[in-house]
Amino acid sequence: MLDLPARISEWLLLLVKSQRAVAHLLVDGEQMLVKAGGDLEHYGLTDLRPRQGACEQLPFLEGLLPLPESPFLLRSMGMPSGRVADVHFFDEDDATWVVLLDVTSEHDDAQKIQQKAYDMTLLSQREARLIAKLEAAHQALTLAHHELAASREALQLTHNRLQDELRDAERYVRAILPAPIAEPFAVDWLFVPSTELGGDSFGYHWIDPEHFALYLLDVCGHGVGAALLSVAAINTLRSSALLHTDFRQPDEVLAALNLAYQMEQHNDLYFTIWYGVYHRPTGRLRYASAGHPPPILVSGPSRARGDAYPLQAKGPPVGMLPIARYRCEERVLYSPARLFLFSDGVYEIHRPDGSMLEESAFEEVLTRAVPGGKSELEELLHFARAAHGSEVLEDDFSIVKMTI
Amino acid sequence: MLQKKVCVLGAFGVGKTSLVRRYVQSIFSDAYLTTVGVKVDKKTLTVGTEPVTLVLWDVAGEDDVNAIRMTYVRGAAGYFLVVDGTRAETLEVARRIQERVTKEIGPIPFMLLLNKADLQENWELPTQSIEALERAGWAIFRTSAKTGDSVEEAFQELAKRMVA
Repeated sequence: MLDLPARISEWLLLLVKSQRAVAHLLVDGEQMLVKAGGDLEHYGLTDLRPRQGACEQLPFLEGLLPLPESPFLLRSMGMPSGRVADVHFFDEDDATWVVLLDVTSEHDDAQKIQQKAYDMTLLSQREARLIAKLEAAHQALTLAHHELAASREALQLTHNRLQDELRDAERYVRAILPAPIAEPFAVDWLFVPSTELGGDSFGYHWIDPEHFALYLLDVCGHGVGAALLSVAAINTLRSSALLHTDFRQPDEVLAALNLAYQMEQHNDLYFTIWYGVYHRPTGRLRYASAGHPPPILVSGPSRARGDAYPLQAKGPPVGMLPIARYRCEERVLYSPARLFLFSDGVYEIHRPDGSMLEESAFEEVLTRAVPGGKSELEELLHFARAAHGSEVLEDDFSIVKMTI
Repeated sequence: MLQKKVCVLGAFGVGKTSLVRRYVQSIFSDAYLTTVGVKVDKKTLTVGTEPVTLVLWDVAGEDDVNAIRMTYVRGAAGYFLVVDGTRAETLEVARRIQERVTKEIGPIPFMLLLNKADLQENWELPTQSIEALERAGWAIFRTSAKTGDSVEEAFQELAKRMVA
């Protein structure tokens, strides 16, 4: 006990009683409520009945009695009134004293501090989880980036290989083109393939000492498939590999070609072609067309403005129809004159504003006088590029010039 | 009437108070208010034909500094271990509490409640850990104090095990 005079001890007791709302209960060994007193109402403990079961009336006693040790304390217990009490237990003889002291104020202070601490902890845990997720996402992204880089590298290698193969194909297409000739008349040409490999090809050769064949074809579409077909068709003509065909008769040649190159057997590809045979002794040009743009004959010498004559002929593209008829046309060429044979890529030029170059403008360039020392075909290419607004044209630029 | 003390234990912020409020008062609030000390509530249910009153001790959660006081658990006939499904670390806390209760109080019936099932898309509990606990014989319920999912069933099941 405190070594204080009784008066002071009593004062202290009264102080605790007034500040802590002291209430007490006495429970016997049979767990029956013996008596209850003090500020019970403060805790909402009303209507307590002595000599009745304590645990039924005071549920928090359930399972606690007999005490495991004495004294025994349960801190910060919420009571029915909403107040919070420290509950002290003391064994006394065969009974248990239960003393309630109000600690609501301390409880509320502790709750505020704990609330802040828990809120902070929950926030930091959430932050840690987010950081972990971000790091995992970053790692996944880095991995994906590496995989993408590897794929891009593989793709680039494949692309380079395909480009190399395209260049090889282009070299081959170019290799089968005949060399320009100067005697007994001049034949020159210009061939600028588009960025993709195109389907243009052409050739010329002497069928016999008097007959000179001249031809240009354009397979629909672009790419290796179109180029392969154009090379095959040109080789057929160059080697006169059409049975029972007189290669001096343009209509016969195109009809035979049409039978040999039906699109069903050639990957759905068809082509346009102009085929002409020049009989040198008479100056007579016989020709036929399978849907190809008409060549233009320009009369007069190149140093002066000439007149343009399109050499029209009708017939469907090769490969489209199983049975097709081609009509042979004829014209006598008088020297001096130039015959221009070309594909549609030479004059179907899109301007930068999207409009198409007029055919009349192209004809005008062909008939224009060419200053001495300049290549007429290079001038044409220059004109096409200037009209297109770019050095790179959309289609193959193929033109053959025969000068007599 | 049969009366049984049941403790609701677990890490802080896992939803112990919300589960008790959902079970006793059928209400839920999203606001989080930490529990200091213990709050005692009761509810009567029927096991078979016998009415049983559960005296529910909603005990302050365990944190890094304060372990759950075993004095609160004394006299309990069973207990719930509550885990927040969105916080994997609370499963480890539950495991620690179970070990302590078994050691100090004894092998009384208990149940593991994986709470916040309404946020299942954010759950972080390792599946292997849960499966290992199931193999070890732990009774596990996936509950939501917010929607009430499996809450009633969990209390009923624990009551049944305590009376058996």
